[in-house]
Amino acid sequence: MSTEAPGLFTRRATGLVREGRTRDALFYNLLWSSVGLTFAFFWLFAAFYPGASALLAFLIAAALGLPGAFLYAMLTQLMPRTGGDYVFNSRALHPSVGFAGNFSYSFWLAVVIGVYTTYIASYGFGAFGRMMAGFGAGDGWLDFGDWFSTRPGLFITGTVVLLASAAIFAFGGVRLFFKIQAGAFALYLLGAIIVPVFVGLLTSHSTFVANFNEYAANLGVQDASAKLAASATELGFAPADFSFESTLRAVSIFWFIFGFIFSSNYFAGEIRLAKRTHIYSMPGAVLLAVLVLLCLVPSYTHVIGYDFSYMLGYADPAAYGFSAGAPAYPELIGIASGSPVIGAIAIIGFTIGLLTWLPQTLMLVSRNMFAWSFDHVMPAKLSYVDPRSRSPLIAIGVMLVLSIASTAIYAFTDWFSSITALLGLTLPLLVTAIAGTLLPYRHPDLVEASPYSGKVLGIPLLTAVGSLAILGFGGAVAILLWDPGSGTSLSDNSGKVFLVIGVYLAAMAIWWISRAIRRGQGVDVDLAYRELPAA
Amino acid sequence: MALFGKKKGGGGGAPATRLYYASDIHGSEVLWRKFLNAGGAYEAGVLVMGGDVTGKVVVPLVEADGGFEVDLFGQKSHVSGEALEEMEQKIRSNGMYPHRMTRADVARVAALSEEQREEWFAEVMRQTFDGWLALADERLTAETRCFVMPGNDDPHGVDESIEQAGKVEACDGRVVRFGDHTMISVGYANRTPFDSPRELSEEELYARICALAEEAGEMTRCIFNLHVPPYDSQLDTAPALDDNLAVVMSGSAPKLIPVGSTAVREAIERYQPLLSLHGHVHESPGATRIGRTLAINPGSDYHTGRINGCLITLAGDTVRHQFVTG
Repeated sequence: MSTEAPGLFTRRATGLVREGRTRDALFYNLLWSSVGLTFAFFWLFAAFYPGASALLAFLIAAALGLPGAFLYAMLTQLMPRTGGDYVFNSRALHPSVGFAGNFSYSFWLAVVIGVYTTYIASYGFGAFGRMMAGFGAGDGWLDFGDWFSTRPGLFITGTVVLLASAAIFAFGGVRLFFKIQAGAFALYLLGAIIVPVFVGLLTSHSTFVANFNEYAANLGVQDASAKLAASATELGFAPADFSFESTLRAVSIFWFIFGFIFSSNYFAGEIRLAKRTHIYSMPGAVLLAVLVLLCLVPSYTHVIGYDFSYMLGYADPAAYGFSAGAPAYPELIGIASGSPVIGAIAIIGFTIGLLTWLPQTLMLVSRNMFAWSFDHVMPAKLSYVDPRSRSPLIAIGVMLVLSIASTAIYAFTDWFSSITALLGLTLPLLVTAIAGTLLPYRHPDLVEASPYSGKVLGIPLLTAVGSLAILGFGGAVAILLWDPGSGTSLSDNSGKVFLVIGVYLAAMAIWWISRAIRRGQGVDVDLAYRELPAA
Repeated sequence: MALFGKKKGGGGGAPATRLYYASDIHGSEVLWRKFLNAGGAYEAGVLVMGGDVTGKVVVPLVEADGGFEVDLFGQKSHVSGEALEEMEQKIRSNGMYPHRMTRADVARVAALSEEQREEWFAEVMRQTFDGWLALADERLTAETRCFVMPGNDDPHGVDESIEQAGKVEACDGRVVRFGDHTMISVGYANRTPFDSPRELSEEELYARICALAEEAGEMTRCIFNLHVPPYDSQLDTAPALDDNLAVVMSGSAPKLIPVGSTAVREAIERYQPLLSLHGHVHESPGATRIGRTLAINPGSDYHTGRINGCLITLAGDTVRHQFVTG
C-alpha cells in the first residue's frame, strides 16, 4: 500500500501508518489523571480552604501544568522510548539524574497507591453499604459499610484489591487487563462524571437538603442538616467570603490532576504516535480536564454548595449520622438524586475509576523498572516477563509489596495526607523541565533534526517551552511547600520535605553504587547512553 | 547468588569475539554513520546490521525561484545555498530521502502507478545506499567484519548493492563464519498487513531457515540472524491494527499482540542456536531465553538520531549481552 501526503512521497513499508489515534491518547491521559478522585479531594478537604474558589483554583493549576504538558509532548516526540522521563533526563542531563527522578517518581506512586486503596475501602465499599442503609435497606448494610472505614477494614480491603489487581496480570496477563479496563472506563465516565453533572444540574439545593435529612434519618439521626450546621459552627465553621489566598493554596489539590496528565509518554516506546498526536493529546488532555471540571464544579455547587461542603469538613460526622466519616461527592450525588440506583451508579463508577488506576499504575511502574533493568542499572530479573501471562511478574511483585506497605501506612497511621506524595511526584517533573530547557544546548543535533528546531525571539523553542514549564512546575512546588493542607509544607511538615529530597538523593546513590558493581562484573553501564559519533 | 548476578567467565578459555548488532535504521544516514563508528567506539570486531536499512519517505525539493521549495513536518519553506544543504541534512537525519525535483517531476511521480512508484523509490534509495556503502569502504578498518542484510522493507536492488560492496559483506540467505562461530541470516519476514517487499509464508520461511541451519551444522556456536523475531517471545509485541491500519485501543491503552513469526520460533526451538538476533518490531526491545538460546531484539528509534544496538560478547559456547543506545 502506498500513501501520499502533501510534500512527500511514502512507500510500501512496515509500520508506516501504525500510529495511535489522538483521541485514544487524549482519553488515556485524561483518565489516568484521576479527575474524579481529585474532585472528591477538594470537597472533602474544603474546610482547609475556606473562601477558596474551586473554579479559579483548578484554572490556576491547569495554567501551571499546561507548559509542562507541551514540553512532555515535545520530548516524547524527540525521545519516544518506554520509561518516559527516565529517558529524557538520562540523555539530556546524566543517567544518574534520570534514574533518580524516575525512581523517586515510582516510589511516590507506590505511596499514592495507599490513598487509592483506602479510598476504595472507605468511599467505595463503605459508602455503598451506608447508601443502602440510607435508602432504607436496613441497619445491616450500615454495619457492613462502616466496617470498611475501620483501620483493619481499610487495610484488608486495600490489600485484597491490590492482590486482585496483581492477579489480573499473573493469571490473565496484560490482555485480560485491557479487556477489563475497556468496560471499567465506561462505567467510570458514566458514574463519576456524567451522572453527577446531570444530577447536579437537575436537582435543587433544597431538594438535596430534604433528601439528606431523610437519608440520615434512616442512619438514625433526625433533622441531620441542622445538626450538621450546629456541630460545624461549634467546631469553628463560619461562612467565608472569597479568598484569593485560600484559592491559591487550594491549587495544591488540583495539581493532583494537572501535574500528571501526560502519562501517554510512558507508552511512547510501545506505540508510534505522530507529532500532532502528542501535541494534541497532552495539552489537549489539560483542556479536556478543564472542560470536565467546568461542568462538574458548577453543577455540584448548584446542588450541594460551598457552605454545606465546608460544614461537612468541620462537623463531627457522628453528629449528623455519618459516624464512619464525611461522605464524598458520589454518595452526596446519590443522596441528592433520591435514588439508590443513581447513587449506586455514582459510587460504583467512582470506585471503578480508582480500581482501574491500580493495575495501570502497577504496569506503569513496572515499565520504569523494565527500563532500569534494560540499562543494567537494576538486576536483570526485574525485567523478567512471564512467558504465559506476558506480564513482568517480578517488577509487579516488587510494586505490590511497596503498595501493601503504603496501604498499611494509610490504614494504621496518619503519617501522610492524601496528597503528601504530590511534592515527591512533582520534583522529577521539575528536573525534566530543566532537562528540556537545556536539551537544545546539550544535544543540538537531536533538536535540529526535529520538528522543534525553531526559535522564539532567538531562543530555541524547546528552551522557551522548558522555561515556562520550570515556572509552572516550580510554582506548583512553591504552593505545595506553602500550603499546610498539602502535607509537605515547610512550616508544618518539614520532615516530609526532607523525605522527598532524601528519596531523590538515595536514588542517585543507588545509581552510582550499581554502576560500581556492574563495573566489577565487566559491564560498563555508561555505554548504555554514550552517544556514538555521527561524523 | 549476588543481587546483580555476577557474570561467569565461561567459554572454556576460548578467545572472545565482541559483536555489535543493530537493525531497522530505515534510511537514517546519521544512524548508518554511527553504526560504522560502533566498531571503534565499542571495540567490536564484528558489526551486524539486521535489515531494513532503507527509508520509507522521499521528500521532494521542488525547484522554484532560484532555490527549492520543501514541505517538511507540515512547514513549508524556500531554501537555497547553505540552507538547502542544511535542509537536506535535516531530512536525512530523520530517515527520509531529500530529492531535488522539478515541479513537472513531482507531478509525474504523483501520477505513477503503485508498482511504478515502488520502482522509482527503489532507484532513489539505491543511489543513497550506494553512497553509504562507499562511506563504509572509507571508514571500516581491515580488522572489522561488517555484515549487512536487507530486511522485509528493503527493495530488491539493495541485495545487488551489498554484493558489489567493498568491505561490507553480504550474509542474507547464506552461512558466514567469524572466529569459531557461524551465522545464518534471513532478512525475509512473515506476512504483514503492509505487503512489504520481502515477505514469505510461515512455511516458506521455516524451510529457508532450516536449510541454512542444516548447512551450518554445529548449533552450540551458531548465531541466527533473522530479521523477524520469534512469535510470542516478548520481542514481537506490537499494537494490534484494524482494517484501516490504525492502532486498536482497549479501554485507554493500545491493545498489544504478538506479531512475530511462528516459523522463526519453531526453528529456534528445534535447533537451539547459541544466539538469535532480531529486529523488525521496533516497539519491543528486549532479551529472552527460548530453551538455551538467547534471543535479542534491540528495538529501533531510528527517527530520533540514536541507534539502539546490542553489544554481544561471544566466548566459545557462552554469550553475554548489553543493550546500548549510541
